[in-house]
Amino acid sequence: MMETTNPNVFAGYFPTWCPGCGDFGIWASIKGALAKLGYSPEEMAVVFGIGCSGNMNDFLWVDSFHALHGRAVPNAVGIKIANHKLPVLAIAGDGDCYGEGGNHLIHACRGNHDITILVHDNRVYGLTTGQVAPTGLKGFKAKSTPQGVIEVPVNPVALAITQGATYVAQGFAGDINHLTDLIVEGVKHKGLSLVNVFQPCVTFNHVTTYAWYRERLYKLTVQNHDPKDMKKALDKSLELDAHIPIGLIYKSERPTYTDCLPQISKETLVDAGLGFTKDDSSAMLQKFVPEFL
Amino acid sequence: MINLTVKIGGEAGFGIMTTGLFLGKIATRSGYHAFEYTEYPSLIRGSHNVVGVRISDEKTYSQEEKVDVLLCLNADTYKRHISEMKQGGMVVYDRDKTDINSIKDENRADLVYVHVPFAKILQEGAFPTVMLNNIAMGALMYLIGADFGILKNLISENFIKKGEEVINKNVNASQMGYDKARESDTEGYKVKIPKKESISSRMYLSGNEAVGLGTLAAGCKFYVAYPMTPASALLHYLAAKAEKSGMVVKHAEDEISVINMALGASWAGVRSMVGTSGGGFALMVESVSLAGITETPIVIAMVQRPGPATGMPTWTEQGDLLFIVHAGHGEFPKIVLSPGDVGEAYQLTTEAFNLADKYQTPVFILSDKYLQEGKQSIDRKEIEEYKFDINRGKLLTAEKLEVLPKGGYKRYLLTEDGISPRAIPGLPNSLQQANSYEHIEDGHTTEDAQERIKQVDKRNRKIRTYLSADFKMPQLFGPKDAELTIVSWGSMKGPVLQAMQDCGNKFNYLHFTHLWPLDKEKVSQVLKSLRKTLLVENNSTAQLGQLLQMVTGVELDNKLLKYSGRPVFPEEILARIKELGIG
Ligand SMILES: Cc1ncc(C[n+]2csc(CCOP(=O)(O)OP(=O)(O)O)c2C)c(N)n1
Ligand code: SF4
Repeated sequence: MMETTNPNVFAGYFPTWCPGCGDFGIWASIKGALAKLGYSPEEMAVVFGIGCSGNMNDFLWVDSFHALHGRAVPNAVGIKIANHKLPVLAIAGDGDCYGEGGNHLIHACRGNHDITILVHDNRVYGLTTGQVAPTGLKGFKAKSTPQGVIEVPVNPVALAITQGATYVAQGFAGDINHLTDLIVEGVKHKGLSLVNVFQPCVTFNHVTTYAWYRERLYKLTVQNHDPKDMKKALDKSLELDAHIPIGLIYKSERPTYTDCLPQISKETLVDAGLGFTKDDSSAMLQKFVPEFL
Repeated sequence: MINLTVKIGGEAGFGIMTTGLFLGKIATRSGYHAFEYTEYPSLIRGSHNVVGVRISDEKTYSQEEKVDVLLCLNADTYKRHISEMKQGGMVVYDRDKTDINSIKDENRADLVYVHVPFAKILQEGAFPTVMLNNIAMGALMYLIGADFGILKNLISENFIKKGEEVINKNVNASQMGYDKARESDTEGYKVKIPKKESISSRMYLSGNEAVGLGTLAAGCKFYVAYPMTPASALLHYLAAKAEKSGMVVKHAEDEISVINMALGASWAGVRSMVGTSGGGFALMVESVSLAGITETPIVIAMVQRPGPATGMPTWTEQGDLLFIVHAGHGEFPKIVLSPGDVGEAYQLTTEAFNLADKYQTPVFILSDKYLQEGKQSIDRKEIEEYKFDINRGKLLTAEKLEVLPKGGYKRYLLTEDGISPRAIPGLPNSLQQANSYEHIEDGHTTEDAQERIKQVDKRNRKIRTYLSADFKMPQLFGPKDAELTIVSWGSMKGPVLQAMQDCGNKFNYLHFTHLWPLDKEKVSQVLKSLRKTLLVENNSTAQLGQLLQMVTGVELDNKLLKYSGRPVFPEEILARIKELGIG
């Protein structure tokens, strides 16, 4: 790993997001975090979901897999199992990760797969022109819910903590430096990291705007929170209204999924597979044919 | 010639499935051929399980409809299967438990009844009910004159981890079965299978096990699945071998996750495979198309069972051919292979991995419950001496990437054969984007008309390349110039070849293994050259027939379609060809 890289090595095309979109802040934070981590664009793998968020695939130049809507997480898990030495980041929207792919999030947390999931939480479906997302506030009116959404929002932070994620943080697209550090720590953390990022959608969400967040957000520090205490973390995850915390909410240590696989303790699956020859093939038969005789 | 079919039936929980495996192995180790097919409902307990094993000194390609020896571990077995008995067949039952007289078929005076006091043996030896299978096996060994020593060995091999005491108890149980059967009927059944003098070395395994072996031999390192009959046994087999083989086997949360994990791992450079049945595959379909456009290799073991929806989970059908051929939105190349027996299951699995790597696209191993859960004896050579290379196609090594100009790698480079060099992420100079959106050569998204056409054409060129380099024409079995040709695919190979053997080669058989894509010119030519044809399929809509007609315009004359959830029997084929004036 290098010292610090220049964030511009990660820049792809110039973004097509609406001017003022919170995604710009997230983009800057990701580039900043990768630079701080000292990665080159080929020293990690990034999986993108489908949405305005996922469109970052063209704006961030790294080894990447642009997945299907909802499926970035299982792709990321597969990449990690294949090559557990490679840092893996999944970038998704709230519709993507908490709606279409909600099941995958739960099970990725349970497995404590060593990946970082970064979710653009704008409480709407940006790319499909503003329908309500699973994090949409109750009563939110949009094209698919003209009378206001009946369901209450999902609580991604509480969900991740209770399902077994070992690093759960919340950031704000309007605070790039703070978010950058949350991403750096999330990637460094060994285990499943979820970074839920409040992201104003200036085009389709006129409720949870920059101003709305600025009135409510406050930062968690060592003075006001102990992220190692699960009960306190859950308390923080329930602050959703007048005061909303950003920062590291929960952190614990548990062996990752690949830590528990003795068959890859010596070499990654990719290396084992790349070195596989005809002789290995015969050796497999020698080992496994006798039981059928 | 020896030809013996034994059926053993009883409630789930009696260990019926093990008796099938043991009997098949005893026959195989004694120098015979064996074919086993189990029928069981989609329930765990209190239901009727039956296993049938056909044993012969000629090759056994399939089961037969009629039964020589029916071993009834309950009355239900007798009632359900008595109509299947051959003339002079033998019924083995426990008089103390089953009052056969009250249910006896008066018209079947030809049958021989042998009483073995299973319940009493259990009681006397204080054996648990799960040991009923070994008592029954012991009795059977006597009645069909098989080598008891082989049964003893199998019991020891089976319980090796449980220790001497368990082994001895089971051996004693079967010895008591053996002795009581001798007391009851000193002659035994008219057909006997003594151990032969010279024995050629054969394996006895199921289709799922053969695919599993192929997966291991092909260097697949990641298998992901969600349990679904009849593909679950493949998951169980590979999971049991994972540590010893160095493979990772993952039971994921749903089939959508299954295929997406596999695609992630495959993109990262690992040979990856998923396995499922129709319903589970339906959930994977969107991602098959993702594999198509991102050009990510993936092997999909699709084991059919009767649908629609939950259908008949533990039974058999070939109802998903057209679904598989057409699965996935949009247009992209896809290869469908279908094995006809366990040897082909092994061989085509190794081929599937090479083709997936070579063409960077989804490759299917399409089979069904009949083949995957049935067991067959085959010559070891079909597996051990089958030669294949590990061909990873245009996968770039670190050395090859290094010599490219910095930033010069293009994931979707336009090439003559349609296949672009593949670099795996994490290697220096591998900078790339695998993109589910349409893209330009370097992977960036595009909506440009010309770029779109270029990439569609590039992907489609892979089909052309495949047809000229790797497509295999259907194989013709039997006499070249027969009056009648049976056309079929997959597991129907067994009953068709069995019928051919049983009638003395009165027809020939055109067996399709490489089902998609098809070479229009070559296949048309072959179909047009046939005289009379009979299409045999285990479905109701003649799906291979439809596919062949779609590609070649040729419609086959006659059809034998069966869709009761049961496989086609050779007897049914023989009856049909008689109707067609053959034989
Ligand atoms: C299977 C599937 N269903 C629907 C869509 C259409 N679609 C594309 S993006 C999207 C939602 C985007 O919302 P979100 O995930 O919150 O991301 P955002 O655009 O807000 O960043 C939908 C429904 C799709 N691409 N695939
Ligand atoms: S629609 Fe909303 S989320 Fe999408 S780019 Fe515009 S502001 Fe951003």
